[in-house]
This record gives sequence, structure tokens and C-alpha cells, in this order.
Amino acid sequence: MSITEKMANMDRRVFYWILFFAMMVPFLSPIGFPLSIAPNTQDLYDGVTGDSIDAGEIWIINFGYGVSAWSECAPGVTVVTKALFREDAKIIFMGPHYDVELTMNKLMEDAGADFAGKEYGEDYVFLGYITGGEAAITQLASDMRSVYPQDHHGTDLDDIPLMADVNEWRDIAGVLSSDTGDWGAYFLRQWQEPHDVPLAQIGISMLGSTGIPYWLAGNYFGMSVGSRGGAELEKLIGELGEATTAMDSISVSHLMIVIAVIMANIGVLTDRGRES
Amino acid sequence: MSQVLKREVVYAFTGLVTVLMFVEYFFFAETWSLAETIRTWAIIVYNISLGLGAIQLLRQHTLNLQRKRDNYGYSAVVLAFFAIMFLTGMMGYLATGQQTDNGIYNWLFVNVYTPLGATLYPITGFYIFSAAYRAFRARNIDAALMLIAGCFVILSNAPVGEAIWPGFATIGEWFKFTGQIPGMRTFAMVGALGMIAYGFRALLGKERGFYAGGGDE
Repeated sequence: MSITEKMANMDRRVFYWILFFAMMVPFLSPIGFPLSIAPNTQDLYDGVTGDSIDAGEIWIINFGYGVSAWSECAPGVTVVTKALFREDAKIIFMGPHYDVELTMNKLMEDAGADFAGKEYGEDYVFLGYITGGEAAITQLASDMRSVYPQDHHGTDLDDIPLMADVNEWRDIAGVLSSDTGDWGAYFLRQWQEPHDVPLAQIGISMLGSTGIPYWLAGNYFGMSVGSRGGAELEKLIGELGEATTAMDSISVSHLMIVIAVIMANIGVLTDRGRES
Repeated sequence: MSQVLKREVVYAFTGLVTVLMFVEYFFFAETWSLAETIRTWAIIVYNISLGLGAIQLLRQHTLNLQRKRDNYGYSAVVLAFFAIMFLTGMMGYLATGQQTDNGIYNWLFVNVYTPLGATLYPITGFYIFSAAYRAFRARNIDAALMLIAGCFVILSNAPVGEAIWPGFATIGEWFKFTGQIPGMRTFAMVGALGMIAYGFRALLGKERGFYAGGGDE
């Protein structure tokens, strides 16, 4: 058995341990590689800051992700929440995952200083869990009260000052959907395309390839892709957080994968040369 | 009669709802309350289906346990946690209107569910690393091209790529912003056309799977 064959048949647990120890390095000794800003992330940041936002505008932030995608989506959502609050915009939070309350709690912890200066019901509201898929998002555009008669805490929307005059797409300045799946596409089809409501996505890395064409076409005014997008947003707002911390381990894991691919293919080429 | 209920009534109802939604979208987007009412029904039905799903889950796992099928121990864990979360959540809800006001419910959610959920995605990295070595082999020219493109994209996504050679970012971004776009747009358009064709076939009763779990006619 050749060395390459022996390596090909190596117990997979060896690979797990190699990666585990390699990823320990940046945690023990942070590296801090420089980070450039992708144009889609810059567009997202520009769309929620400066002249793009007027004080008092009402935005929707949709938590289309559960706990399992916190590492990829939460940092970006934290930054856009901070940015919108600092522009004196008001925010409606909602989400289609049953653990949406945990996600909201995490956001309030991560952006605690910004939430501290805001009042529930006046500056932000948490509508909570939504179900019903694309039909619910369509309905939200025309009659929010038929989807959410009450907020997450059981208060009637009519009794919440922020929601008093809000019931349809015309009352919303923009939507930021943070996704692991299709919710951004639902908003795209039911809010952005028919009503031209500004829409941006903060998605997991896997959504990059499907979302970028929509950003290039102008359907999304901006897009953050995965943890890297979150780290870019943290850099743009000037407050480094958990996505920036994760960049070192992402660098190491990505590099290890490329090294594994190269080594495996060197083995293939060596064997092929020997056979010929 | 049951056959009529199973097929013709469902065909007719699906067709009616589809036509109503089409007409609303293209002609009365702002004004038609009938379409809104139907969508509200859809959301209610969707919510009911969640309850049905829970009942089916309980039924299936109870059967697994009763008949001691393979891995029935997992079913016992599912049932036990279902009961704990349901009861503690209900206790919190009945006491204050918030499920999370129950200490046990909250503790399990924060200290068991959250770490498990947060571990789910990252753990795939280990499988990918192992699979990268075992399966990503350039056995032909197509596979070689895909691997090379993949490596550039991976290195452009990670800051280390730029640190090694700035060209990784330039080439990787070309793949992301230019190279893949025609393919993804084609996928999107073909998918949309496919959905339209599927919708028409379903309306005409040609897609039995849509109605009753059967195959094509």
C-alpha cells in the first residue's frame, strides 16, 4: 500500500483532531488578518446609514435564522440594528423560527448600549414568531394585524404607539431579512418586486451565490454574506465583535480545507503517474 | 363519494384559489379583501398543520416505543423532552402569559437547546475537512476546473487568502460577482418557468403527487 493510499484510508477522526488543533491556534494567539470590504456589504451599510435614512422611519428586521446560524447572521443583524437606532429609525422585529425569542434576547444583549437609549413600543417592537410561509409575508404587506393581532408580549398592536399607524407596506421604509433559507426571497417577491420596498439580506454564506444576482439586479440594495459579511459590517461601524473574532478561525479552517484538497490531488497525480 | 372529495373537490378548490390569487395580483392588488381573507385562512391552516405535525410526531414515536423498533431509545428521549418542554412552557404561559417565565423551560432552552443549536453548523466544518481530503479529487477536467474555482472562492472568502496573495481575492471575487452569475440567473429563470409549468399541470390535474401522493398521470 502506497503512502497516498494509506493517507486516503486514514481514520476520519484524525482529520477532525487536526482541524480541531489547527483552529485552537487563533483562539490562543489571535492573528488578525486584514479584511477588505465587499461592495455588496458596503451597499448594505450605506443603505442603513447617513442620507439613506430619515429619523422616525420604520424598518422591519426579520430574524429568518435560528440559534444554529447565530454565528453567521447575528453579527450582521447587530450592526444594522445599531446603525438604524443611531439614525433614530424605529424597528419592528419578527421571525419565523420558534427560537426567535432567544435571538431577540441575544440581539438586545449584543446591542445593549443602543437598546438602553430606546423605549419599547415607541422606538422598537418585537412581534415575535410568525408562521404561514410566503402567504403570511404577502398578508403582512396588506394587513399586518391579520398576521400579528398582538406583539410577542400579548399587547394589542393598537395599544403600541409605534404600531398605531402601521399596518401595511406603505408604512415601512425598508426590510432587512436575515436568512438561512427562503424568507428573503418571500420579501423579495411580495414586498420588493410589487411595491418597491427597499430590501436587503443578511444571509449565511451559502446564500451568497443565490443572493448576489439579486443584489446586482438591484432587488437587494445590499447584502451581507456569512460571518465575513458580519465582520465587514463590524469594521464599517467601527465596533469589532464576534464575527471579527471568528475570522481567524475561518481563515484557518478554509486554509486547511484547501491544503487537504491539494494534498489529496497530489496523491491522485502521484498514483496516476506511477500507474502510467 | 370519498374519491370525489379526495380529487374533484380538491382540484376545483385549488383551481378557484389560484385564479383568485392571479386576478388579485395582476388586477386588484390594492383593493381586494376576498384575497386577503383567503390568505388569512391559509395562515390559519398552516398553524393547524403545526399542531397536526406535533400529534403525528408523538404518534410515530409512541409506536416506535411500544413496538421496540430500532433505536427506540431516541424516541423515548423525544417524548420525554416533548413532555417536559410542553408542560413547563404551558405552566409559564398560564402563570404570566410567557412560556419563558418558567425556570425549567428557560434553563433548558438557554443551556441545552442554544449550545446544541449553535454547535450544529460549525460541526459540519469537520466533515467538510475530512470530505475535502477523501472526495474532492480531480478525476477529470471538469472536476479539476471545479476544484480550482472552489479553492479560489474559499481563499477569497477567508482573510488569509488575501494575506497570502491579493490575487486570490481578485480571482475569487470574479467567480462570485461575474463567473457564477449567468449560471445562477439561468437556474432562477428555469426554476421560475418550471414552477409555472408545474402550477398549470397541477391545475389541470396532471400532477397527482400534488393532490394525493401519487405519481404523474
